[in-house]
Amino acid sequence: MAEDAGLPAAGVEPILEAKGLSQGQIVRKRFLGHSGAIIGLVVFAIIFVTAFTSVGYWGIPGWWKYSHDQVTPLVNDGVPTASLWPLVWGDHPFGQDRIGRDLFAMTMRGAQQSITVMLVIGLIAGLIGVVVGALSGYFRGWTEAILMRLTDVIIIIPALLLAAVMAQMAGRRDSGSWFATFASNNGILALGIFLGLITWVGLARLMRGEFLSLREREFVDAARISGASNARIIFKHILPNAVGVLIVNITLTMSAAILTETALSYLGVGVKAPDTSLGLLISQNQEAFATRPWLFWFPGLFIVLICLSINFIGDGLRDAFDPRQKKFNAKKARDHGGHPVAATPVTAFDGTKDD
Amino acid sequence: MRFGRISKAVGVAAAAALALSACAGNSGGTTPTTAAAASKSGGSATVVEVNAFNTFNPNTADGNTDINSKISYATHSGFFYIDNKLNVVRNEKFGKMEKVSDSPLTVKYTINDGVKWSDGTPVTSADLLLQWAAFSGYYNDADADAKTGTSYFSYAGDPTGIALSDFPELSDDGKSMTVKYSKPFSDWEIALGGPGIDIPAHVLAKKAGLADAKAFVDLVKGMPRGDSAAPQPANTQLQAMAEMWNTGFDSKTLPADPNLYLSNGPYIVKGVNQDQSLTMVKNKDYTWGPEAKLDEITVRYIGSAPAQVQALKNGEADIIAPQASADTVEQLKALESQGVTVEVGNQLSYDHIDLNFSGVFAEKNVREAFMKSVPRKDIVDKIVKKLDPEAKPLDSQLFVPDQALYADSVKANGSSAYQEVDIEGAKSLLAGATPEVRIMYNKDNPNRADMFALISESATKAGFKIVDGGLGKSDWGKALGDGSYDATIFGWINSGVGVSGVPQIFKTGNDSNFNQFSDPEADKLMDELIVTTDKGKQDELIKQIDQKIWASSYGLPIFQAVGVDAYSDRITGVKYMPNQTGVWWNFWEWAQK
Amino acid sequence: MVTYIVRRLITAALILLGASFLVYLLTAASGDPLEEFRASSAPNKQQLMDARTELLQLDTPAPIRYFHWLGGAAQCLIPFANSCDLGKNIAGQPITDALGHALIQTLTLVTGATVLAILIGITLGIITALRQYSTLDYGVTFMAFLFFSLPIFWVAVLLKEYGAIGFNNFLRNPEIPIPAALAIGAVIGVLTAVTVGGEMKRRLLIGGLAFLFAAAVLVYFSATEWFKTPGLGPVVIAIAGVGIAFAVTLLSAGLKNRKALQSALIAVGVGLVVYFVIQPLLNEATILMIVLLAVAAVLVGLGIGFLMGGYDRGQSMRAAALTSFLVGFLILLDRYMQAWPTYFNNSRVRGRPIATIGAGTPNIEGDFWIMSLDSFTHLILPTMALILISLAGYTRFTRASMLEIMNMDYIRTARAKGLSERTVVMRHAFRNALIPIATIVAFDIGGLIGGAVITETVFSVRGMGFLFLEGISHVDPNPVMGVFLCVAITAMGFNLIADLAYSALDPRVRVKA
Repeated sequence: MAEDAGLPAAGVEPILEAKGLSQGQIVRKRFLGHSGAIIGLVVFAIIFVTAFTSVGYWGIPGWWKYSHDQVTPLVNDGVPTASLWPLVWGDHPFGQDRIGRDLFAMTMRGAQQSITVMLVIGLIAGLIGVVVGALSGYFRGWTEAILMRLTDVIIIIPALLLAAVMAQMAGRRDSGSWFATFASNNGILALGIFLGLITWVGLARLMRGEFLSLREREFVDAARISGASNARIIFKHILPNAVGVLIVNITLTMSAAILTETALSYLGVGVKAPDTSLGLLISQNQEAFATRPWLFWFPGLFIVLICLSINFIGDGLRDAFDPRQKKFNAKKARDHGGHPVAATPVTAFDGTKDD
Repeated sequence: MRFGRISKAVGVAAAAALALSACAGNSGGTTPTTAAAASKSGGSATVVEVNAFNTFNPNTADGNTDINSKISYATHSGFFYIDNKLNVVRNEKFGKMEKVSDSPLTVKYTINDGVKWSDGTPVTSADLLLQWAAFSGYYNDADADAKTGTSYFSYAGDPTGIALSDFPELSDDGKSMTVKYSKPFSDWEIALGGPGIDIPAHVLAKKAGLADAKAFVDLVKGMPRGDSAAPQPANTQLQAMAEMWNTGFDSKTLPADPNLYLSNGPYIVKGVNQDQSLTMVKNKDYTWGPEAKLDEITVRYIGSAPAQVQALKNGEADIIAPQASADTVEQLKALESQGVTVEVGNQLSYDHIDLNFSGVFAEKNVREAFMKSVPRKDIVDKIVKKLDPEAKPLDSQLFVPDQALYADSVKANGSSAYQEVDIEGAKSLLAGATPEVRIMYNKDNPNRADMFALISESATKAGFKIVDGGLGKSDWGKALGDGSYDATIFGWINSGVGVSGVPQIFKTGNDSNFNQFSDPEADKLMDELIVTTDKGKQDELIKQIDQKIWASSYGLPIFQAVGVDAYSDRITGVKYMPNQTGVWWNFWEWAQK
Repeated sequence: MVTYIVRRLITAALILLGASFLVYLLTAASGDPLEEFRASSAPNKQQLMDARTELLQLDTPAPIRYFHWLGGAAQCLIPFANSCDLGKNIAGQPITDALGHALIQTLTLVTGATVLAILIGITLGIITALRQYSTLDYGVTFMAFLFFSLPIFWVAVLLKEYGAIGFNNFLRNPEIPIPAALAIGAVIGVLTAVTVGGEMKRRLLIGGLAFLFAAAVLVYFSATEWFKTPGLGPVVIAIAGVGIAFAVTLLSAGLKNRKALQSALIAVGVGLVVYFVIQPLLNEATILMIVLLAVAAVLVGLGIGFLMGGYDRGQSMRAAALTSFLVGFLILLDRYMQAWPTYFNNSRVRGRPIATIGAGTPNIEGDFWIMSLDSFTHLILPTMALILISLAGYTRFTRASMLEIMNMDYIRTARAKGLSERTVVMRHAFRNALIPIATIVAFDIGGLIGGAVITETVFSVRGMGFLFLEGISHVDPNPVMGVFLCVAITAMGFNLIADLAYSALDPRVRVKA
């Protein structure tokens, strides 16, 4: 698929621009030509749909016969019943934990939770980070001083400590405050929001850096002289130029979020039983690594798959959004035209020029 | 983790009361009787501990961690030690401890000639007196509420027993001391003088500005018993000594002053690498007790169990005793092929579910129905069986399976009604009612969380509506006994099986009686138990109490905690020990092959 | 500039004050300090609880306790008074002592890993950017993300199992069977073929050569028990040195600059002579001596370059200095290898050199070489674990930033001027790509002191992370505050440095006074 799907891409590109396609169309075309991103998107979509339909979400029942907290009799001592040859699915395809909960249901529930955390963090951290970074980098002066000192405060307050306080509140099921009630009923959501509220700082500093150097560029001066408003300059001129770094950072933050959740669970301040998350599953079962590996491998596999697919999607987006990049797959261009330029290492630019 | 010294005492309390013969080595632990002959003297071993060493005085409230107690145990000796059958073993080579009279209870301690600290100073009754002064809290006259008076030695253990004694009589030769108790005290045997006399009085005296140990004896001789109702101005010299005792021995590195780590036992500390390791070498002078075989013992600190197993596998550690879990045990068993010996045994703590005698459970029928629906066997099968294939549900709140009396008591105490889950029986007892039961447990403890899941699954079938009342690790302890739940799953950490622990938990209105169990007859039996010194009679009383507890549908004991230790093929002589001294109890028998 | 820095420092102090108050309250609120006693049935439970209450002053409200703490901490500001008082932890150890120890532990653990991760990450980032969408790019991207996605305790367990236990077992009898040697050689060959790029024919040729070479080396190692008595010897140093000379010149000056190449080659020659002369001196090595020798090597290199001159003297000096430094490193490596058998057979090591825990073998004794080998064998696994998981970030950022730069107009201009590809990449693109990376690096170094909590746990290193965690688990604010102070001060310091570096690297960005 990788070879022929993007085949016309290199050749078509100039025509696309000649036709005057909208930015959105160009981005879409480019993104679809990025095989890594497409594979990532498909994998992520499959995981997403499976996770949310199999065990149900928010009271909506799913198609899988067990739920994540349901104790069932141990079958085959908890060893996975699924096998590739002969291809059987069995009663407990991923096996069971020691008291007989179905690992497939738990993994799916965990994937739901981890995806939720990831999306919530990506959204919150991305928004705050971009806004704070952009404002302080663009306006400088007092805005910058205040916003950056605010990020300093958040950077230096240890996340682990905040997580410990959070976890303690989530552990209080009975106390009356609205926060505790919310935290204990929507543990994962609360964790996601909270992590989002503290992970935006790296992004903000990075965005500020980009804005600092971009705002001194000639094209910004040009825009300013031609009377563009600040908002227009920020959103139309500077942001598109910073989008590459931004997207790489957001996707890294998102996959880091899953790992942060894992780390917090390992340290005992993450998601609380009986609810579960991928991180909690593998940290609970880390000792089973050598003896009942399925308890460890399946949730671990899903963490890796989610992280990988998110990162590849981010990679594709980055390339698609890059306004200066004229051509997006040197290899395909080479395959297509058999052009010798591909032999030189830096082909990104020259390639298209010759096309 | 903590409670090193206390638990030792409690362990013996258990032994004294129950003649407990908690088994060692359910598997792989065939005791090598010829080990002593086969192994030679010399060599070294590396032992893994979880916590890092931080003080040479393990008796203080702050220093009372297991590791400090273990190091102190290896570097000091006394009148007795405790073996892995939880018997008190006298060390007559060190000195003699004898009960001179029963009423009033009088105990005479005599230290043998030649017993000395590693600086050459003989061990005298002054050292013993110092221990007595610290452990009894005799001079304390502090009143916590009024904030008056002085609290001298900050001792971590329970002073109530020794506090019954008057100022001891000291012999003129400085070798013996006689302690007289005003009331019978069942644990007198382990109250003083062991397993190690660990703080040298002469060093403490000098550090506090006194001339020598004699000056210390003279100082305290003249002081009256502290009375919190009439506090006296603090005695500055004693206070200086107590201050030294409380914090002066704290050190994470080897102190420059060798007086701070004097030894009178088989080993002496040679080096301390902060937060990494501690090394002990043989004390050459030592002749007053079992002779040690290894020349050198190194202790390394590793927190996580998988890391301990891998360190053993990689030859960096010779002896480990990680926190037991099914996977850890299985991993260790897999190492048996490379010569590792694994020993699994019971520990002194047990998990249980208690039902409140109020709320939905005010009625006995409901309690009984609930107890019938608790799948004890299933829980044991799923949680403990993998560690210990012979595990069975615990059938007594007061006895432990490996002793003869356990079987006796179990036959009579009525536990037979709760062997199997009886959903039908529970349903008929409930007669169609669907009581809502809130179960409180520590959500951060996976065992408890799994127990809850299993109980909830089964009790729901019987018609109970189970509410998950689990709390985080920082809140569940506070909630104990506050009435916000109907049932609770937790474990008694140490004294669940001791004489003094019995009324503590089961007597009406007592501190740790969280579920408000109250039975006048049981109360009477417990009052009797406390002042009974005869072991046979004690056992009889405990049996009756056990029966009363079961008859009242108190709740259910579920299983005993499992411990594990493992050692490499370089080492011989390691034996499993149920209490918190762990494998260290017979460190002198460890030898290199 | 100075006013700017002063203003930043003053705000930093205020932030620290406010944040420390917050952290203190949070710690005090993060749990139940008496938890361990709650479910105890000890008769003196109340007494133990009272003792702990008194120790942690739980009767005093947390805000007031904070000011007690602040009073002690403020004394740290008095220079030379040595009256710093950060309180004690519940085991009675002064926090200042505990911090000092933990800091050393943490720094030994993370410094090497961070530096290596940055170097490798940036290199890989540049290469993947230059070869965008090649197999190599996809491969590196995939591996980087894969390692990034792995929880570190998992990586650690695997590393210990195979890198330590497995490798030590292998060392017991270091024989590589021929099929294994061929298989490893094949893997290396394929990797090389993928890496080199270019036409298929060229790739196959180079891959094949790499395969033959690797397999031959492995068979040779196996036959001579090289792993038990490793060493490079002058021949290998000479060959590798010439290789280094060419590579360094290629990158720093371009092979067309004959003078630079000659300088580098002369440096290799000098290095070889020194190799024989210096052996007796190295037997008495200390850390200071090694540092001085490294400085000397660089100076000698500079000297050679200066004397050779050429149309661009600076380039010759740079090439020769870099080469002689690297050759010096080879000599050092060789000396370490000479010490290996002694270390391997040390009675404390017992023939299992790679360790899974701790920072050193307890009670090991020996000269400089033995001791540093000991540190090395203990650090290698945690370092690898940390590198694997932190590589992704650096690789991705460098790649993104590099791609962006490579599409800039001034790169086009540079190319149009006819500058060589090397000059374009190294001079024009690379330097500018470093600007955003500098921020990330400063940011990471700032956070470094906080310790890698989980890495410390799994490798049993009791550093800052452990101290912090223990403070939280006992709800004991003092250690938490101690760690917090260190982390906060370094983090803010490095933030400031990052901001200053920004304006230094990118002259268009002005630091406003």
